[in-house]
Amino acid sequence: MGKQKLKNLLGFLILLFFAVLFIMPVAVVLMNSFKSRFSISQYPFVLPDANTFVMLENYTEGIKNTGFFSAFGWSLFITVFSVAAIVVFTSMTAWYIVRVKGIFNSILYYALVFSMIVPFQMVMFTMSKTANALSLDNPLGIVFIYLGFGAGLSVFMFTGFIKSVPVQIEEAATIDGCNAVQTFWQIVFPILKPTAITVAILNTMWIWNDYLLPYLVIGRDYKTIPVAIQYLKGGYGSVDMGAMMAMLVLAIIPVVIFYLTCQKYIIKGVAAGAVKG
Amino acid sequence: MRTVKRYFPLFVMPTLIAFLIAFVIPFLMGIYLSFTSFRTVADAEFVGFSNYIRAFSEDNLFLNSLFFTVKFAVVSVISINVLAFILALMLTKTIPGTNLFRTVFFMPNLIGGIVLGYIWQLIINGFLYRYGYSITSNPNFGFWGLVILMNWQMIGYMMIIYIAGIQNISTDILEAAKVDGAGAFTTLTRITIPSVMPSITICLFLTITNSFKLFDQNLALTAGAPSKQTQMVALDIYNTFYSRSGYEGVGQAKAVVFFIVVAIIALLQLKITRGKEVES
Amino acid sequence: MKKRIISFLIAVVCCISCLSLAGCGKKKSQVYFLNFKPEAASVYEEIAKTYEEETGVKVKVVTAAANTYEQTLKSEIAKSDAPTIFQVNGPIGYDEWSDYCLDIKDSKLYSFLSDDSLAIKEDGGVYAVPYVVEGYGIIYNNAIMDKYFALKNKKTDIDSVDEIDSFEELKAVVEDMSANLEALGIDGVFASTSLASGEDWRWQTHLLNIPLYHEFRENEEYDDPTLAGLNTKDIKFKYSDNFKKVFDLYTENSITGKTLLGSKSTADSMAEFALGQVAMVQNGNWAWSQIAEVEGNTVDEDDIKFMPIYTGVEGEKNQGLCIGTENYIAINKNATEEQQKASLAFLEWLFSSDKGKDYVTNRLDFITPFKTFSEDELPDDPLAREVVRYMNDDSYETVPWIFTSFPSEEFKSSVGSGMLDYVQGGKKWDELAKIVKDKWKSER
Repeated sequence: MGKQKLKNLLGFLILLFFAVLFIMPVAVVLMNSFKSRFSISQYPFVLPDANTFVMLENYTEGIKNTGFFSAFGWSLFITVFSVAAIVVFTSMTAWYIVRVKGIFNSILYYALVFSMIVPFQMVMFTMSKTANALSLDNPLGIVFIYLGFGAGLSVFMFTGFIKSVPVQIEEAATIDGCNAVQTFWQIVFPILKPTAITVAILNTMWIWNDYLLPYLVIGRDYKTIPVAIQYLKGGYGSVDMGAMMAMLVLAIIPVVIFYLTCQKYIIKGVAAGAVKG
Repeated sequence: MRTVKRYFPLFVMPTLIAFLIAFVIPFLMGIYLSFTSFRTVADAEFVGFSNYIRAFSEDNLFLNSLFFTVKFAVVSVISINVLAFILALMLTKTIPGTNLFRTVFFMPNLIGGIVLGYIWQLIINGFLYRYGYSITSNPNFGFWGLVILMNWQMIGYMMIIYIAGIQNISTDILEAAKVDGAGAFTTLTRITIPSVMPSITICLFLTITNSFKLFDQNLALTAGAPSKQTQMVALDIYNTFYSRSGYEGVGQAKAVVFFIVVAIIALLQLKITRGKEVES
Repeated sequence: MKKRIISFLIAVVCCISCLSLAGCGKKKSQVYFLNFKPEAASVYEEIAKTYEEETGVKVKVVTAAANTYEQTLKSEIAKSDAPTIFQVNGPIGYDEWSDYCLDIKDSKLYSFLSDDSLAIKEDGGVYAVPYVVEGYGIIYNNAIMDKYFALKNKKTDIDSVDEIDSFEELKAVVEDMSANLEALGIDGVFASTSLASGEDWRWQTHLLNIPLYHEFRENEEYDDPTLAGLNTKDIKFKYSDNFKKVFDLYTENSITGKTLLGSKSTADSMAEFALGQVAMVQNGNWAWSQIAEVEGNTVDEDDIKFMPIYTGVEGEKNQGLCIGTENYIAINKNATEEQQKASLAFLEWLFSSDKGKDYVTNRLDFITPFKTFSEDELPDDPLAREVVRYMNDDSYETVPWIFTSFPSEEFKSSVGSGMLDYVQGGKKWDELAKIVKDKWKSER
């Protein structure tokens, strides 16, 4: 027993070491966000002192330069609506594909699965061009683009799960006089809830952090957080390291809040998503 | 279920239209444009395979970036999976605080690539400054910087998947092994690894495709410096496309080649590891 | 409850798809100005606001991030709401965008030019007009220089900056200053030679201008070195050694070690200068705002001066600053006629009305090539004053900006990354010189 305890302690220490390694980078950025811009890049590991401590100046400067709140708003808007659209429409499509056999549906299914491995660079120009031609280059239109782009993974995951749902329950509902819409939303969707959560989480992680797609499609008029941060680097003629640090911290905060509140679902969702795949 | 069929417009149409607009049409258009010389699509002129030839012959950028990407993918796929697996093994033991550790390890995965790139640029430069270097001093710094960044980001994700796999192994088998006198190492190679083969398949798939497609992190961390020697394929395509005029077709051709490479590698990997799953 | 959430979700999603598909009636901007100068972004936005208050015409200003103008323009101009006013960087840029440039020979804007030959013309049409004249050279902090000249143990016999008129003298002074850093209270003579990606234009464009200017000047077929450059398919890079000499002087007497230059930005070097950590920095008069805005700025305005960049080419005694422009403004040919008119009206307002001119001289700090600006309507910052002084002094031979004839952006960025490699020891000078020659040929 004593040996086991020793082993556990050793394991704990190793894990602790790793945990510190994992937290360190974020902690360093947080610390530097309170330092004056010229004392950051050369001495990032030095704590702020009386000379270099600047209170919240970097934050006010950064928020002003990047329009952080509007970027936050657009990121939130696009993520929430895109994820909602993806969950609603792809679950319906997946159910239809599984329940209605047919050559067209199989083709659609395989085309969707195929889209998962295609690198974004393949379509970056043509897609932004199409989006512009159809007037989809606005925060509402991009929701539609995300629906099309996220459809592959999401339909794939929903179909994987729906295949395991016995068809008898639905037939019973149909006999009771439900039409397909009612059957789906009242009977099927509640069963799909765990998968829906997984799909929602995976898509949230992707869309919230996506850079190139929003940059190319709506980047000049509506900046999301990643676009605003990249612009801070290239724009305004100079890189203000202080503002940069502050913006990195502000970009991480919503993610951490989201993570800590939904942690259980996220970890479960990720594991579930993988097993299905 | 025949009645369901009538609901096609409602159930499939929205996804289908979005999919057509966001993916199918651009994809087909992309293949077509790779055989043309164009600037705005409307002025595309058919030029046959010349874009493909130019992509490889005019300079070594594309080949170098492909090679760099492959090197990066090999190193990071191995390191990520080994480390994630080890952490998963430890976290499924009776060590105190496993939940907290799991939370910490997974967190970086939620931070976006651009933000991650700048975080690590600060850390790595801060470290190298002491020795009079910066991340752009030497392409090796950029390479290892990207590997470290990728590990930091992906280990937690893969760890979660491995944990799920390990927890699925029935305790009966493990106890039977113990009764038979199997040591820790034998248990690992004979029971644990074969049983988590499905997790390995998916983890390899995710790490390989993500390593190949890496863009944001590359852009933010090194942007290809020095001399484009740390430029990965995705960034090279982007730069060919948007930073040089007269090269739009070449960029599109590179993208098609890139797509084919990724598709072949992904399918090959799935085939090989799936095969292993069946055997076990 | 569940049902309600679900129906709400559906409702929301339906609304979105209807709205987005309907396109919600896209508005086209009347005037859409795609700005090239990131440092002027906020001023332009103010100008747009003022203009809208005065005339009711909305001006949309979008600023491309540093070094991304070409790619931003490329993706913006293909859009339905495309820029109506954009910028080309000279004849090469015009070639690239000629399909989009409106002929403005009948416009007032063109008539404002004090010298029509500055505009970009083709077959009798006028397609782009410069709007700012700029100069660059070595900016120095006179207070530090005076300190040096007063040193008892100085090894040179030069007693003022005015006496420096050749590379040899510059080198002697710089190296002697390097030997006396402590006495001078500085950390290096030159500010960081910034070579981070996108931050290397001071070297691969501005510095390279000088050796190539001397080479093109010798081409007797053309009177104008820029024209000679445009028509040169193969460069000899005859003055490669001169280029090397200055570049080495910068990096060997720098505040920053060679291996760190790859992470330095222009802003870093301007900050070093402003904080009094260095005596010299190569840059142009546009850098004034960057010097002025640094907190803890220790340099007195009256101590900020320019000197020419000497490279050791024969007869450089009378060489002046490099003065010219790469900022040509063009009107989008594909915009509606109404938009084109509104765009010209905006520019004419900016460069001829009192309010507009006030913004141009005092906020943007532009020296313009327009005759609508009188002699006293010049920016009042030390660097602009210096540029004007050099321009008006006939004893100096101005070096024109022939880099507008450089074959492409790719040429410049390849040279820039080659320079970084050279500094870090990854490439020999010969290899760099070969890149310059080969890239010129392949990109031409």
